[in-house]
Amino acid sequence: MEAMPEWLTAAEVYDPPTDKDRFIDKSILSFIGLISKIKQQSGREHDRLWVSPVFKLAFTILYIVLVSSTREFTFVYIMLTYIVLVLAALPAPDIRKCLRGALIATVFTYIILLPSALHGNSYSITMIPVKVFASITAVNILSYSTRWDHIIASLKRFHFPDMFIFVFDITIKYIVMLGEFALQMLYALKLRSVGHNKSKYGSIGGVGGTLFLKSRAMSEEMYSAMECRGFTGEYHVTDKFKFSVYDGVYCALNAGFIWMFVYFQNLA
Amino acid sequence: MIELQNVSYAYEGSTALDGIDFKIEKGESVCLLGPNGSGKSTLLKLINGLIFASSGSYLFDGEEITQKKLKDVKFSKHFHQRLGFVFQDSEAQLFCSNVYDEIAFGPRQMGMDEETVEKRVDDCLALLHLESFKSRQPYHLSGGEKKKVAIAATLALNPDVLILDEPMNGLDPRTERWLAAFIIELNRAGKTVITSTHNLELVQEISHRAILFDETHHIAADLPTEKLLENIDLLKKVNLVDEYYHVHEDHGHELFHIHNY
Repeated sequence: MEAMPEWLTAAEVYDPPTDKDRFIDKSILSFIGLISKIKQQSGREHDRLWVSPVFKLAFTILYIVLVSSTREFTFVYIMLTYIVLVLAALPAPDIRKCLRGALIATVFTYIILLPSALHGNSYSITMIPVKVFASITAVNILSYSTRWDHIIASLKRFHFPDMFIFVFDITIKYIVMLGEFALQMLYALKLRSVGHNKSKYGSIGGVGGTLFLKSRAMSEEMYSAMECRGFTGEYHVTDKFKFSVYDGVYCALNAGFIWMFVYFQNLA
Repeated sequence: MIELQNVSYAYEGSTALDGIDFKIEKGESVCLLGPNGSGKSTLLKLINGLIFASSGSYLFDGEEITQKKLKDVKFSKHFHQRLGFVFQDSEAQLFCSNVYDEIAFGPRQMGMDEETVEKRVDDCLALLHLESFKSRQPYHLSGGEKKKVAIAATLALNPDVLILDEPMNGLDPRTERWLAAFIIELNRAGKTVITSTHNLELVQEISHRAILFDETHHIAADLPTEKLLENIDLLKKVNLVDEYYHVHEDHGHELFHIHNY
């Protein structure tokens, strides 16, 4: 064993300078937010919304199409009331998250439409923000009440190619894995940023470069692992779909919405 | 030097640390032992100021470490200089384009002139036998070499406390032996060393005190190392050893083997 250098055995006398490196903390927080969001969605499914993910996905898309296509105030407000009632069934923290995104988008829509309203176009400002709010809330409810893997698996019912589902599934998993690795790297950068960093962008570039190399290595390893397990380029998604009473009620409700949409269209 | 008073930490509803109380004095070499998921890595993150206790207090040199305090840039930088953390996955710790720059990253930030930086880097390279890797890209080194570079980069800051998270993971037996001897040397040189591990042979060699965590995220024991390793029932209870574990005079064996005597 080499002898310890003198500086390493003495106490370090160090007065650190101030430096603006809040960007590391902000990046850490955004990565933690992203990872925990995906983990939360993969970890649980609400037992308050019993409907099969296949129907949730299909009717959320239908909901958006109907709300976007109609020009009838009454129909839009009926749909808005319905989505608010569904939202009320979620736990309070999820309601807050769903509303936050929807309200931000609605406020932006109002701001964008304000000049049009000032020129006398009252239809746009009363109709479009409500449609935006209802549609985003519907997507948020789907996202917060259904696991990612269940949404992806339900794509099988819509005859999406297995390979597409596979790539989608793996992408989400890798976002989490690489996100965790990036978080570790940012922690390391934070711990070693003990003074004035003259090359902040260089350090972040280094983190990005290592992340790229890591992602390439991980993809190669995964390819090798799949080959070892007999992967020949075909990926089969197992469909475990079962029609329940709740699915029946949900389908009937949505059939009612379609009927209402047609009814109001004919009235116009 | 490091004091935890009834510290608990929960993340998204699940408890990672529950009512942790201990004190580590300057110059001690302490091992944190426990099964996977018992909260050792979380505790190390907390000691390094990367996360903060949900309840209880953490004191470093008598000063409470809080999120608010670490927002003071000067205090935060000095705190991080005094605590060196070697991650379990060394790969995540290396982000410079070559080994020299990796080790020089800290000293350069500390405002040292290039001559002093070079001296410090060369000393670290010699200490960890990395001279021939000076201009290599860290990412393309082997696991053991990456670990050595991560340790060198941490030591270049000359921290008072060296914290190692599962340092033996992924190392070959020879590097393991070398690293154990190196940790002992660092402790002899006056560094406070905190090592998280579940390698009982390493614990015997490098520390005089061991803190044992159980699966309920509590401290199950805080004893001198020999005393703790003698308590086989307790080690079995926390799932650190199985029924084949036994002790020959002063050395514990984890593997099943046949006695010829």
